[in-house]
Amino acid sequence: MNAALLILIAAPLAAGLLSLVVRTRPVMERLQLAHAVVLWAAMAAVVGSVAAGDEVAVGSLLHTDPLSAFMDFMLAFVAGTALFYAVGYMGEELSRGHLNFPRYRRFFVYFDLFLFAMMLAVNLDNIALMWIAVEGSTISAALSVGFDRTKAALEAGWKYIILNFVGIALALFGTVLVYYTSEHVLGVGMEALSWTALHRAAGSASGGLNPVVLKMAFVFVMIGYGTKAGVAPMHTWLPDAHAEAPTPISAMLSGLMLNLGLYAVLRLKSIVDPAVGVVFTGSIMLGLGLLSMAIAAIFMLIQRDYKRLLAYSSIEHMGIVLIGFGVGGPIGVFGGFFHMLNHALTKSAAFYAAGMVLLRHGHKIIQGVTGLWRQAPAVGGGLFLAGVALAGLPPFGLFISEILIATAAYRYQHWIAYLFLALLALAFATLIAPLSRMTLGEAPSESLAVTYSSDRLMTSALGINLAAMVVIGLLLPVVSLDWLLPISALVEAKAVFP
Amino acid sequence: MPVSHPDLGSQLINLCSMLLLLTTFAIVAQRRLSACVDLFALQSLFLAVTAALVAWFTGSPHIYIAALLTIAIKVIAIPMILKKVIERVNVKREVEFVINIPPSLLICGALVILAFSVTEPIAKLGFLLTRDSLAIALAIVLIGFFTMISRKKAITQIVGFLMMENGLFLGATASAYGMPLIVELGVFFDVLVAALIIGVYTHRLQDTFDSVDTTKLTGLKE
Repeated sequence: MNAALLILIAAPLAAGLLSLVVRTRPVMERLQLAHAVVLWAAMAAVVGSVAAGDEVAVGSLLHTDPLSAFMDFMLAFVAGTALFYAVGYMGEELSRGHLNFPRYRRFFVYFDLFLFAMMLAVNLDNIALMWIAVEGSTISAALSVGFDRTKAALEAGWKYIILNFVGIALALFGTVLVYYTSEHVLGVGMEALSWTALHRAAGSASGGLNPVVLKMAFVFVMIGYGTKAGVAPMHTWLPDAHAEAPTPISAMLSGLMLNLGLYAVLRLKSIVDPAVGVVFTGSIMLGLGLLSMAIAAIFMLIQRDYKRLLAYSSIEHMGIVLIGFGVGGPIGVFGGFFHMLNHALTKSAAFYAAGMVLLRHGHKIIQGVTGLWRQAPAVGGGLFLAGVALAGLPPFGLFISEILIATAAYRYQHWIAYLFLALLALAFATLIAPLSRMTLGEAPSESLAVTYSSDRLMTSALGINLAAMVVIGLLLPVVSLDWLLPISALVEAKAVFP
Repeated sequence: MPVSHPDLGSQLINLCSMLLLLTTFAIVAQRRLSACVDLFALQSLFLAVTAALVAWFTGSPHIYIAALLTIAIKVIAIPMILKKVIERVNVKREVEFVINIPPSLLICGALVILAFSVTEPIAKLGFLLTRDSLAIALAIVLIGFFTMISRKKAITQIVGFLMMENGLFLGATASAYGMPLIVELGVFFDVLVAALIIGVYTHRLQDTFDSVDTTKLTGLKE
């Protein structure tokens, strides 16, 4: 199914380029909705053939292994619903006169190019070309973050640019260091940058990749791509960008771009671990994960803006994922992957709901929103359901992965599990309290009306994501185990507890 | 890889890398914005010469292409864009500092020592010709990073970012005899687009805040 892989990557690029010449709103809507459907179909084909064990590759540069297929599933699924949502959301902004048609069009160009860069990044079998694609996604997202021409959006955009460009530069230094050692083993040329070849070289008994260089490379890459993943203490761009970007972009950043940063770190971890052991990379990830959780939980306590609240919750969840991979072992790694997937589905759904609240109320202040459940049951119910899942209540997938990670942490070091659970409890309270205040109570007497057709699109995006979250959470033991296990094996070179 | 005249080659390359580092210090010590941009262009020129030397002494022609691209993009195009931005936002005045020049220079000196000591255990892995360049590259990356956080004006932050990129490029060319050409091309493209986007953002900062002093960006905080 190599054609499907090409379609999966080319569809966002084609849609982005076509958007440049679209002249009317109905055409743009049809184009982007068709884009979403094509993405889903191509993704289903690619993931299906990878799951069946077929080799999916185009040329020597594009290669989809199980980890790439996992990312393809996450990217294409969430991006598809985000496109439905964006068509509704931006259409509403357009008909309210908040933006003119050229800017409406430009939004979709940025959106599609952003998606294209991410899609390319996860399917490239090359550490340096992946860097280029990740940098491409950073640049295209920079344009989207500052899309609203307010002072706040501009400031958020500038912060995003400075921090992420520094991060991405440090990640390139890490990449150069990998090449510095691999060219001695694999020879000068593209081969020395191929993930497959690097993985093989790292796995061979004598190795050959220099452990000291790999350690340095991992530190640079962890800081660099960690910035993109919103890991504390490099997270300071994240709340601003998520709060000020147009809501469909907030959902894409939180659900997908953060995971892309983690993906890049995990790729490197999988070649560093065989040479230097899991403890080195594990302890760095564990430390950063605990720090991220702690900072996020504390800052969630004082948030007054609901989009910022969700943004800090993303930092917390990235921390949870890092702890999963940090303590390692089959359970921890599996929990980490499962958490990434569920967080992508749930957090994007939460942002969809938050955007619909924003359209109805015109502001982002938590205190100013009450009675969502009575005012608009779909929005209030969706926000509450997503919030409950994000807080980690059963029976949703995030609960399962948090339990798995806590179990793995307990086997690793008792105190880590206790600290982890305490931080989870704090984050639970700080997230549930404001969200229930927004959902329950009396509905406000007046609010802005949302066009029926836009609302239907946004509600369906919200519904699809929530349904997928529930299904994946409930069916975990049956479906996802044999699908996620080969991926875990790729990252966890030696599944041992120290 | 054929290496002719390793002694002469490594000395010339070391000389050029040191000149790169020297211009980095000059940028840190510079008060005038447009002079910062000129110095950046000079630094990029030294970078191109270093790349050309590596290409000559190792006989790897693809590095020549990288050197030419460096001249086209980093010596000519980007400084031109930056000059335009400076003219447009009318900030010919001095660079403003969070940390003053003398302590800045001391810190940069410390960063160089740090870079040399960090890379010391892995320097012996490098090719004979360019053994010290990795340390210098790391030093330039760190100083560029420091410049970004210790200057107030948006444009000096761009120059800091571009210095980091120059350091990275030196690292890639010198320590690894250049990445494959397709990688170099992609990196160049990204840097150019990144510089353009930062330029656009600077315009919009000026239009909206009537200033490019990034310490005035204080609307968003807890």
